[in-house]
Amino acid sequence: MRTDEELMELYRRGSRDAFEMLFARYHRKVIHFAYRMTGDEAKAEEAAQETFLRVARAAPTWQPTARFSTWMYTIARRTTLNFLRDEKDEGDKVSIPPGEESGDGSPAPQLPGPSALNPEEIAWSAEIQVRFAAALQQLPESYRSAFVLNRGEGLSYEEVASVLGITVQAVKSRIFRAREMLMESLSELLP
Amino acid sequence: MKCLDWKEKISGYIDGEISSEEARQVEAHLETCGECRTLERRMRAIGTGVARVETDVPPDFREKLFTRLEAEELLPRRRSLFVFSLRWAAVPLAVAASVAVFLFVSPEKGKDAGAPQPTATSSKVSPQAESQPSNAAPGKGQPVATAAAGLSVEEREIVANLEVLEDPAAIDEQGDPDTIEIFEPSVRRQG
Repeated sequence: MRTDEELMELYRRGSRDAFEMLFARYHRKVIHFAYRMTGDEAKAEEAAQETFLRVARAAPTWQPTARFSTWMYTIARRTTLNFLRDEKDEGDKVSIPPGEESGDGSPAPQLPGPSALNPEEIAWSAEIQVRFAAALQQLPESYRSAFVLNRGEGLSYEEVASVLGITVQAVKSRIFRAREMLMESLSELLP
Repeated sequence: MKCLDWKEKISGYIDGEISSEEARQVEAHLETCGECRTLERRMRAIGTGVARVETDVPPDFREKLFTRLEAEELLPRRRSLFVFSLRWAAVPLAVAASVAVFLFVSPEKGKDAGAPQPTATSSKVSPQAESQPSNAAPGKGQPVATAAAGLSVEEREIVANLEVLEDPAAIDEQGDPDTIEIFEPSVRRQG
């Protein structure tokens, strides 16, 4: 199976199939990410559409040494923030400078993802999901981005640091602060 | 170390972002501290909850995106399978059509070659018989008349019927003997 980076390179050379495979791999993740960031289904859809358009437009400037997922989430986050700032402004404020999102290409560390946790810890329901989505919106954007990228999207602290352009220590601190604030606002739902 | 100091480490432990040595220390502390065990359980639940904040992918999401991508010429258009198939089918279709025309025309050609030639005896026809072809196809010119000159009355009737069978369009045509020449089907002329 081809890596994301190989597919991106093929797309840069004009392969439609390569883009379709990248789309198949990431469109759900991008929509979920945008929804967690905005808490609004319509905005999430628009932001996700715009993210893929920007990925396609920025493909010529993409550096093959960068991890595709990190680069894409950088675009997705900026696009989503633009929608949050002014949903009427189609997100044209963001530009992605060439080579800005560099990466070392090393494999991401294995994280104990949500599936490893006991699903019985929370009696999940649509109502609780709405509560969680609303609680996320109460977080400062810098905390929300870090926590969603790590817990929601499965990025490592190092990858989150790359997406947000901050240090790993800052990521660690933001995620911890996000957890504290969410535990406070959702305390009655927690075990 | 106070429990307050363990909090950030427990957060990193849940995310798999601390060293193995630190992880052993956290695990040892959790075995002895009920308060931190509760904290760890609640922190995990928060992560699980955020990961479950999802939205459905709109059914037309892909179509809308790809339409926009194609409109901006960011995606090579896929070739129509019908056009592709038709292009490859053109050669065998042409061959099949040629064979069909050949099989269709050959017996008529043979009949043409084997048709009785005008002779002194066969040219002896009654005025009534002579007028038959012109009645069947008024306005026809010399070629038909010449070809029919050596035919008997019965043969002329057969020929008149064949004419209609060979080229039904000729029924409505007027004044152009070439288009209704019985031994030269229009298909052959077009080829």
